[in-house]
Amino acid sequence: MSRMNAQSVAISLDLINRHYQEPNRNRFESKYFWEELYKLFPAAGFRSIEIPYEPVWQFGGRSGVPMNRYCINTKYGSAASYREFLAGCGVEQVTGVTFDPNLFMRNDNIHFYFGATGHFAGEALDHAVDLGADYLAISPSPFYGRITQYHPDLENEKEAFTDRTVDLLSGLASKAEERGIKLVLRNEYWSLFGAERLDPLLARLPASVLLDLDTANLFVAGISATDFLEAYSGRIGCVHLTDTSFKDTTGIWKTPNPEFPQDHATQVFRDPGTGSVDLVGFAQALDRHGYQGPVVSSARQTRDPFRALLRTRALLNQIVN
Amino acid sequence: MTNIRYANMCHWKSIPYKKIENFRDFYYEDKTNSAYYSDWDSILKYQAALGFHGIEIAPWDMADILPLFGSPENFTAFARERGVEVIGMFHGAHASHAADHFDEAVKSGREAVDTIVRFGGTYMNTCPTQNHFGCGPLTREEVQQCAKVMNEIGRYATDHGVKLGLHNEFFCAINLPNHRELIESTDPRHVHYCIDTAQISIMGEDLLKFYDDYHERISTFHLKDTASAGQPDSVRYAQDPEITDDGTRWFWEPGLGTLDLKGLYHLLKKHGFKGWMGIEYDGSPDLLASMALTRYYLDNELRPIYD
Repeated sequence: MSRMNAQSVAISLDLINRHYQEPNRNRFESKYFWEELYKLFPAAGFRSIEIPYEPVWQFGGRSGVPMNRYCINTKYGSAASYREFLAGCGVEQVTGVTFDPNLFMRNDNIHFYFGATGHFAGEALDHAVDLGADYLAISPSPFYGRITQYHPDLENEKEAFTDRTVDLLSGLASKAEERGIKLVLRNEYWSLFGAERLDPLLARLPASVLLDLDTANLFVAGISATDFLEAYSGRIGCVHLTDTSFKDTTGIWKTPNPEFPQDHATQVFRDPGTGSVDLVGFAQALDRHGYQGPVVSSARQTRDPFRALLRTRALLNQIVN
Repeated sequence: MTNIRYANMCHWKSIPYKKIENFRDFYYEDKTNSAYYSDWDSILKYQAALGFHGIEIAPWDMADILPLFGSPENFTAFARERGVEVIGMFHGAHASHAADHFDEAVKSGREAVDTIVRFGGTYMNTCPTQNHFGCGPLTREEVQQCAKVMNEIGRYATDHGVKLGLHNEFFCAINLPNHRELIESTDPRHVHYCIDTAQISIMGEDLLKFYDDYHERISTFHLKDTASAGQPDSVRYAQDPEITDDGTRWFWEPGLGTLDLKGLYHLLKKHGFKGWMGIEYDGSPDLLASMALTRYYLDNELRPIYD
């Protein structure tokens, strides 16, 4: 049995499928849906959450989706009031905030991408601080294939793209240090800086920049989560317990929509405990390494968020005393 | 040949696949209906099967459609193979009331026209400026500025075979006090009007009177019902009123609200309307069910009046 504390494992709000079509999806844009959901988290044994920061809800009046500062201020007045509301629902902590820049890779203007990403990542960091979060976990690039959609010469422009990414992340790291929050890089299989491609980027960033260990993303890329933990011991800022049965053997990571392999449709991210990642064994590895940082479970792409909550709890019951 | 053809205003959220070849395997992975809403092949077949042979896309669809299909032309060909044509695209003319935004608003509108042409569409239903909250009430000069932008984009649209139709929403800065002023300030040769039956009714226009008054300007419709006609300023001018906090719906399928849609069809007959009628289901929990219910109501209640 592992010693990992079940009560401290957070659940990511990414279990709500905000962006893809499915019946009843309209609920996800109204405040009432989320306010009921918060109360269900403690019922499933979760007292902390992770929030994806999504600027898209700021545009077009969809402020019922609680995923950026504008929405929180519109519906609750301030981050402090929102935290108070969460506490009243039994959600005691916002463990972390994530940020993904794909929204801003939408044309051939690279200055737009870096300008908008820098601005909104800064907002995400400030919001994370206001929420009392432990970290901001940022994806260092959009999908590789999304970049090449608009910048087909990416391989030749990679050095310049990397230089600007280093500038952006270094600035964000300084701000994070000033504000007393961790900056963590996500390691996603679809990234320009995913898998082994992360190292050269990491080498150019301040030591304060930590790494996210995401079990499913590593599995897809064919990397052992335990090996990754050993290789980057001491630099892991947060852990995502995610599950999958997908292994990318055909270069899906380079396609424009890599979470949806076009040659063979599959649910890449499975509900925790229903895929092929040995999450029980990995939890034991975390204990062996004495990892004490935040652990977040994520059921991204779930077909049923309420079933996913209980499936995740059933998994955690297996790995926790 | 009927006078009215029916299209679907696209409210599908991102559809991640073009066509799922391994449908049965995909379904068996978690045995839910997600598989049925995951590829354009199925979505377009649902439309065609229910007699909606046009689709009006939205600019927010582009970020997914373009990487998925590679180009507007490819999407159009794919849809056409399944019996659906792209009739146009919605456009939001952000900040067109602001004089210092003129060049940007016109440029953005022209780019949208160019995109529509590539999709083979002929309609650009255009929200003339943003929400009332944060920028309203508009001055007379600002309304005229909106008209100036619409005329400029409309001229370009006409030259490219596209009809710009003003499309008003109940929460926009163009609202009941200046709605007709804007229409009458625009050039009828280049600026038409798309009646969103529910939106203008919630705003406070009388649907039948409005159509009767402006029938010569009407290029197309967004057909939907509402049970909330005539909302007060306090609702229409509030911050982000489109999606309610408690799940109250503004929009319903034809026949499930209180609008006199049969009266509208009698007027369509009187004025001999010919063209595309877009049906729209914003806020529906089940777009496919809404589409089927709408088809039933059209065939049994409205098309017998005028077809």
